[in-house]
Amino acid sequence: MNIIYTDVLVVGGGLAGLRVATGVQERGHHTIVLTLVPPKRSHSAAAQGGMQASLGNCAMGWGDNEDIHFEDTVKGSDWGADQQVVRMFVNTAPKAIRQLTHYGVPWNRVRKGKHESIINAEKVVIEEKEEAHGLITARDFGGTKKWRTCYTSDGTGHSMLYAMDNKAHEDRVEIHERMEALSLIHHHGRCYGVVARNLMSGEIVAYIAKATTIATGGYGRIYEVSTNAIICQGTGQAIALESGIATLGNMEAVQFHPTAIVPVGILTTEGCRGDGGLLRDVDGYRFMPDYEPEKKELASRDVVSRRMIEHIRKGKGVPSRYGDHLWLDITILGRKHIEKNLREVKDICENFLGIDPAVDWIPVRPTQHYSMGGIRTKHTGESQTLKGLYACGEAACWDMHGFNRLGGNSVSETVVSGMLVAEYISDFCDSPQSHIGISTGAIEVFVEAEKEKIHRLLNNEGGEDAYVLRRAMEKIMMEKVGIFRNGKDLQDAVEQLEQLHIRSKNIGVFRSKSYAANPALVVAYRTQKMIKVALTVAYGALLRTESRGAHAREDYPMRDDINWLKRTITSWPDPEQTLPTVTYEPIDIMDMELPPGWRGYGKKNIIENPDSAIQQAKIDAIRNELLKKGADRFAIQKALMPYEHLLPERYRGRNERLYERFDEQKDDQ
Amino acid sequence: MSDTKPRKLKINILRYDPHIKGDEPHIDTFEIEEAPGMTLFIVLNDIREHHDASLKFDFVCRAGICGSCGMLINGKPGLACSTLTSRLPDEINLAPLPFFELIGDLSIYNGKWMRGMNERLETWIHHKEKELRDIDRIEEPMDPDLAEEIYELDRCIECGCCIAGCGTIQMNENFVGAVGLNKIARYRLDPRDERTDADYYELIGDENGVFGCMTLLGCEDVCPKKLPLQSKIAYMRRQMVKTGLNNNIRKCNCLQHEEKMPEH
Amino acid sequence: MSKLHHSRVPAYLDFLQSMSGLILALFIVGHILFEASILLGPDAMEKMTLFFEGYYFFGARYPIIITLLAAFIFALFILHAALAIRKIPSTYLQYKTFKTHKDRFRHEDTSLWMVQVVTGFAMFFLGSVHLYFMMVNPSKIGPYLSAQRVVEGWMWPLYLLLLFCVVLHAFVGLYRLALKWGWFEGKNYRTSRKIMKRLMRAGIAAYIVIGLASLGTYISIGLHLDETPAVKVDK
Repeated sequence: MNIIYTDVLVVGGGLAGLRVATGVQERGHHTIVLTLVPPKRSHSAAAQGGMQASLGNCAMGWGDNEDIHFEDTVKGSDWGADQQVVRMFVNTAPKAIRQLTHYGVPWNRVRKGKHESIINAEKVVIEEKEEAHGLITARDFGGTKKWRTCYTSDGTGHSMLYAMDNKAHEDRVEIHERMEALSLIHHHGRCYGVVARNLMSGEIVAYIAKATTIATGGYGRIYEVSTNAIICQGTGQAIALESGIATLGNMEAVQFHPTAIVPVGILTTEGCRGDGGLLRDVDGYRFMPDYEPEKKELASRDVVSRRMIEHIRKGKGVPSRYGDHLWLDITILGRKHIEKNLREVKDICENFLGIDPAVDWIPVRPTQHYSMGGIRTKHTGESQTLKGLYACGEAACWDMHGFNRLGGNSVSETVVSGMLVAEYISDFCDSPQSHIGISTGAIEVFVEAEKEKIHRLLNNEGGEDAYVLRRAMEKIMMEKVGIFRNGKDLQDAVEQLEQLHIRSKNIGVFRSKSYAANPALVVAYRTQKMIKVALTVAYGALLRTESRGAHAREDYPMRDDINWLKRTITSWPDPEQTLPTVTYEPIDIMDMELPPGWRGYGKKNIIENPDSAIQQAKIDAIRNELLKKGADRFAIQKALMPYEHLLPERYRGRNERLYERFDEQKDDQ
Repeated sequence: MSDTKPRKLKINILRYDPHIKGDEPHIDTFEIEEAPGMTLFIVLNDIREHHDASLKFDFVCRAGICGSCGMLINGKPGLACSTLTSRLPDEINLAPLPFFELIGDLSIYNGKWMRGMNERLETWIHHKEKELRDIDRIEEPMDPDLAEEIYELDRCIECGCCIAGCGTIQMNENFVGAVGLNKIARYRLDPRDERTDADYYELIGDENGVFGCMTLLGCEDVCPKKLPLQSKIAYMRRQMVKTGLNNNIRKCNCLQHEEKMPEH
Repeated sequence: MSKLHHSRVPAYLDFLQSMSGLILALFIVGHILFEASILLGPDAMEKMTLFFEGYYFFGARYPIIITLLAAFIFALFILHAALAIRKIPSTYLQYKTFKTHKDRFRHEDTSLWMVQVVTGFAMFFLGSVHLYFMMVNPSKIGPYLSAQRVVEGWMWPLYLLLLFCVVLHAFVGLYRLALKWGWFEGKNYRTSRKIMKRLMRAGIAAYIVIGLASLGTYISIGLHLDETPAVKVDK
């Protein structure tokens, strides 16, 4: 038995995983990263549009700060987010971006003087300030009051990921490529690492660590069409679920991105609309202003996606052999802008559609894009129920996105959560509680269990075809657990998925028998896991009889703040049960800095909780009183909802901006 | 979308599984009916799902940005995911990218080679101060044009096509390739990297570096990201010759080794 | 641990290989043109010969100038060959690997390099013979003497092969030099490359035609030497 010991084990080599790894390594803890693919191939690289951080350098972002970013994020989440976590996030994002600059990300910069831009289909002249010249600029994104999304052309995720991976090289982080975590090793409610399989040689290895971090991204591939990379299969969530102890949060919260190309589902960035692109229907008519007079194409993603489907249902879609779609028109931005700032979009249009987006409209349709749900953790990233298990990035639900994530907040979350969680993990590793107290005998039990599973899969003659089950699952999710949901379909979905789950226990690999590199075997065991994850999504959606954020029930169109202001917590304590166990975690309005209200876009369709008004009144009173005393925004915020004590000490500082310069005294130069 | 009968594509795949004892490299042929908008990503997955589940290949993003699916397509290195079958003849030959360690069939372990290259060339920003001194302060400004220029070179996806298209590396396996030289050009452009030309000379000033390049331009012609490889390698060659001939290579900064290195 | 510094030698070698190649290529560009003076008639060629022997400068003929020039070119030739040999496949395995790559890839610039290897290799011998002969027999140049050497001295097959080798090698070399060092990149180096490739092809075609015509003329003169006044031959 091959056992590898380390201080910190990170499963997943995307932005979040790498940021955790470099963070703990710098604190002096040995780290091993397990990845399915070389880290630079991770799905983080696909984030085109940008990273939100309230730097406020560009003219259209002038005056931005943490408060506005906080408000946008909470509204975007439809009040599902943990507001303290959001506060932690918005305060750290500017630090994260500045640190990434230090690591080498060549962010696009402000150019002083006047430049033309397209806003609301009209050419507008914007004048950038002299003193902002050369600082990080930002573009407009959906659901934000200010231009806050910092970017490098349309390869933001790529340049961030490369900078992070290079940093990991510099820090000599040990990276074990093509190693897949199959299960968590845990003992007496404490996680000690994973059983992993080498995807090249087939070797089963036990990795034992003081702290184990899951940063494996989302579970988009349980849907038939998704913008996600094909490795985003939710296996991280699955192994946590299969531990029987760790829990998942808000799994039904699945985001659909408005503009993925038809039919292949590859994303065209929100930057297309942020930079001035429009949505048009079969008649070439720009329909979004009719639905969302204020934010138009730039309402939050869940809203725009639903409006698009609504419009298609009115018969205004463009018929095609792959079903109806709509048009994304970026021709008005001009060839120069497209070839410089939206080049990946251009490449994608040329390579996959054979069209030129500077001349032709792009066929688009809302498509599965992001998983708000994930491994439920505390604000420290540690599982609420399994000690020593951490999660961050899209894989986790710590919960800053609630029921809908804003564009540009995801890559931002990956590095911010990585930074913070690395500190908490390091603190844990520094404490005596982190000692590894598991015997090799106990480890062997886990290793043997995985070997046995693989052996069974490879030798099960006449078993089920994993591909058949997988395709059935993808179709069910697509058709019944999509953008608009209803009780009947969800009931069907849960029942059918339950059957698939039962059948999946009998999967046999019958076309390819190698124990080493064997794609058929991989499909087999991942399908078993994916069906479980799909069940948590469908079942959570069925039980949640309201509409919130990306979870839209046609039979319950109201957001119900009285009964449903709570998180869905899913677990699978008994391997023999065929449905997950669902419980709920309440979200208390009386703890909120921003009580529930209308988001400012989307339908005003809310069952209000009387507490909202009470809390709002309380907040208004405190605010007014403090304002009278001449308190600044920091003091007011602190009085409303203290959060700084939750942050690691090194990240508690305020962020400097052009209009919020540090005074000379802090200047210790 | 015409009514003509779809083409029957003949897909010849070079197969070999080093993990199976006695397996020899051989060609397997599959027949696939072409569909509109079909890419090699669709073709290969179709083969795996319906014809041969053991067929090994790598895809991640399937959108031409992650660099996983480089392979030889009718002899030319390219990304399979963004190759439309409509741009290929009826018979398509697929083989793994040569030079890299083979995992099996079309799947290669080029991540390992890339990591080695990155470590060797130290492809990270070399600061005197490893960590940002004050993380709360406004960032250092950078010329907007320069930032865009750096990104231009930062767009490399490490797919390995340039290596597979490189004639030089066929005969000198220690050559850093266009991918490596481009990276040095990228860091040289970046004012945040405090290394000097003398430092870069230490990394690429020999036959395994820029002087090994024979300007066959396979890299330039196959790069899926259309990076300006030819131009940047020429640029680095000029700079490195200048550095070498100017006799100042002893003046390297060697930030990393500052404390350990004795005076020369 | 002290880090070993890289030697400066590779920079010199790379630079010298290119520079020696550049000079040789430019020399060839002129040489073939001068040789083609025969197309304007034996007198033109005679004048050209006199020019190179310094007749118009010193009032007398000094074939030693030719010897010196030939020696200089020979030295450059050897230097260039010695430097270039570093790049040429030295084992059968290397050669085979490269050939497999070239045949599979079917990429023009990669194949062009194989042209360089083959022509370069051939010129080790062809060029050496020619240069040695010129060095030791500098006075035997002229419309009729050269023609006699071409025909009766059985040099024409060598010259024919040498012509193809040297023209291909020189123009492909110039093209590759420009790309290698980034000369004439202009605003768009990709467009410049296309233009340079066209120029390379045109240069090859033109010089092969000129070279063949000159060689043909020498052969024709050589075949009809009997009909020419003896005085001119023996002068």
